[in-house]
Amino acid sequence: MTPSLLATRDLARHYRRGPQTVRALDGVSFELARGEFLAVLGASGSGKSTLLNLLAGLDTPSAGEIALEGRRLDGLSRRELAAYRSERVGMIFQAFNLLPQYTALENVALALLFGRRAARERRAAAGAMLERLGLGDRLEHRPGDLSGGEQQRVAVARALVKRPEILFADEPTGNLDRENSEQLGRLLGELVAGGQTLVLVTHDRALAERLAQRLLRLDYGRIAEVWQPVREARP
Amino acid sequence: MTLGDALGMAAGNLRRLKLRAGLTMAGVVIAVGAMVAMLSFGAGNHRLGASQAERLGLLNTVQVTPSSPRDSLQSPPLDAAALARLAALPGVRLAYPLDAFTLTLARGEGALPIEAQALPEAALATRLFSQLRAGEALRGVPGEVLVTDAFLSALDLPFGEATAVVGDSLFVSLTVASVDSGLAQALASGEGGLFGLAARLPADSLRDSAARRRLLSRELGAAAGRFVGGYLAGTVLRDTLVVRGVLEGTQSNRLRVKPILLQPADALRFNAAGPPANPLALVTALQSGQLFAARPDTGRGYPAVTLDLDPYAPYAVVRDSLRAMGYQVFSYADQLADIRRAFVIFDLGLLAIALVALVTAALGVVNTLLMAISERRREIGVLKALGADEREIRWLFLVESGLMGLIGSIGGILLGWLVARGASAAAKLIMQRQGLPPLELFATPLWLVAGALAFGLAISLVAGLMPAARAARVDAVEALRGE
Repeated sequence: MTPSLLATRDLARHYRRGPQTVRALDGVSFELARGEFLAVLGASGSGKSTLLNLLAGLDTPSAGEIALEGRRLDGLSRRELAAYRSERVGMIFQAFNLLPQYTALENVALALLFGRRAARERRAAAGAMLERLGLGDRLEHRPGDLSGGEQQRVAVARALVKRPEILFADEPTGNLDRENSEQLGRLLGELVAGGQTLVLVTHDRALAERLAQRLLRLDYGRIAEVWQPVREARP
Repeated sequence: MTLGDALGMAAGNLRRLKLRAGLTMAGVVIAVGAMVAMLSFGAGNHRLGASQAERLGLLNTVQVTPSSPRDSLQSPPLDAAALARLAALPGVRLAYPLDAFTLTLARGEGALPIEAQALPEAALATRLFSQLRAGEALRGVPGEVLVTDAFLSALDLPFGEATAVVGDSLFVSLTVASVDSGLAQALASGEGGLFGLAARLPADSLRDSAARRRLLSRELGAAAGRFVGGYLAGTVLRDTLVVRGVLEGTQSNRLRVKPILLQPADALRFNAAGPPANPLALVTALQSGQLFAARPDTGRGYPAVTLDLDPYAPYAVVRDSLRAMGYQVFSYADQLADIRRAFVIFDLGLLAIALVALVTAALGVVNTLLMAISERRREIGVLKALGADEREIRWLFLVESGLMGLIGSIGGILLGWLVARGASAAAKLIMQRQGLPPLELFATPLWLVAGALAFGLAISLVAGLMPAARAARVDAVEALRGE
């Protein structure tokens, strides 16, 4: 069996909302193998994004454990968590979250800002990644001058430019039309084929079943279902 | 993330919000400008005092007086022996007494009493008596004198017209008490004189002893009265002096320098004639037993002795030696130290006013940054998602705040310098119109530039601390959700 890259055990995240405690995530345990494509499905408010934020080190659990290659993330300091996000994790958001004041090149290079690379090196790596994603002629364009699909590809480039061990994508096709969604799906498939570990949070069950190696459905913060899609062998 | 990266991002953000950042920085510019302009005035005055003192040789000059003017009889005498002792002190290049008397200067129809001072040639060669406002130094020609600003003031002449008095002839006179004139009065052949009495006295009147005693008592008493009257009426010495040059700056210090400075040979003509013909001088001469002593007299006391010090001599050691000898010491070095202390207080007052303006400007920086944080929550969230830790977010906002402070301070220094230059030009114009020499009252030294830059920067950084801490605490998850 492939050794697990990321593992959770009884992971929980509770919020206080006035007098009530909201159990956004409760008792979630699973493992993610290196190079695996896991899709997380679920209705709105089921805890998908909360799980993603916890796995990406943006949030800290209320209970339970997260371990990366056996080392627990939930015990890391804020600075160590920042280093984890900076060096080992890439994130793609539904709303792209590109900074409008910067060009496509600068947005992508921003992902390398908190490492130890020199500015020239950062720009070169960002340029190369944008070229690879077919945006070589859009380097100096600001997000406002790009289409939705192009913006999301810039966001993917930003997530990939630091060559993360795990890529987290939170509803990446949520703001895209069908054509751009298909295009992004193909891109993600290529990445996984190239050995990229990927956790995709999506509403799009069809997309998930077509691309992911394993699917996990959350319901009210708990794992309701885990399965592997059955794909017909292509002739 | 390097400082260059943070500066680049901060500069980009300030460029993006030109108007808001510009207005915030304008506050810093005005505050730092006010501080620089005000402290330029303090620095200018301080520099002016110090440079004048240095140029005029005041820092090397010490004046020694009896320990208390009211108690001069109990102080060690400032006589020729004391003068020799003072001249022999280590670090003293020259010691010379204050040898002053009052001349009467004929002016039009009237006369003006004016003080004159005799100076030895070595003293005239010191820097104190070499800085001239107009004319030239004395060249040993008899009858040539230097005059000071006090002379110009006495004649109601503006300093700007100092050149006008160079070459002028001064018709002066001095009435000195004279034994000759006293005897002449007592022995006069007229009706009141002893010779006159001898001529008109009947020989028989001296045979009666009682009558002889009465006559001698009355007539000798009257003769003594006439002697004193004649002594005080004295002899009037007249001389013509020519102004060779006008000394600069002697009005600005407490050193005793009289309006007319005479060469030794010229002074001797007045001095050798006798004590000044005024009752006070007579009483002093009587007290010291020198009424009929020949002048100049090595035994008499001087009101003050001036010392010219080696510039490399430790002043404090010389001063302490003089005080240990029982003398009171006045020096411009001490006065300059007092002036410096006063300027420090003055500058602190100005700084306090500037600080109020700077605090107001700093509040503007705080406000701008807080607005920026509320507008850039998503950006902060993205940066955190990309790997920025709290320290780096804090650093980003502090650099932004510091950059506003830096740009504002540079602008403020330029503004302050321009204001100082403008005020200086205006002050010079006013001084020239009033006939005063145009002095540079403002100075913007490097320490002020560096201090203003550091101060503006520090205030901005302090102002940025709270907003930066708030930015660092922004929850990335909430920020990315757009809450």
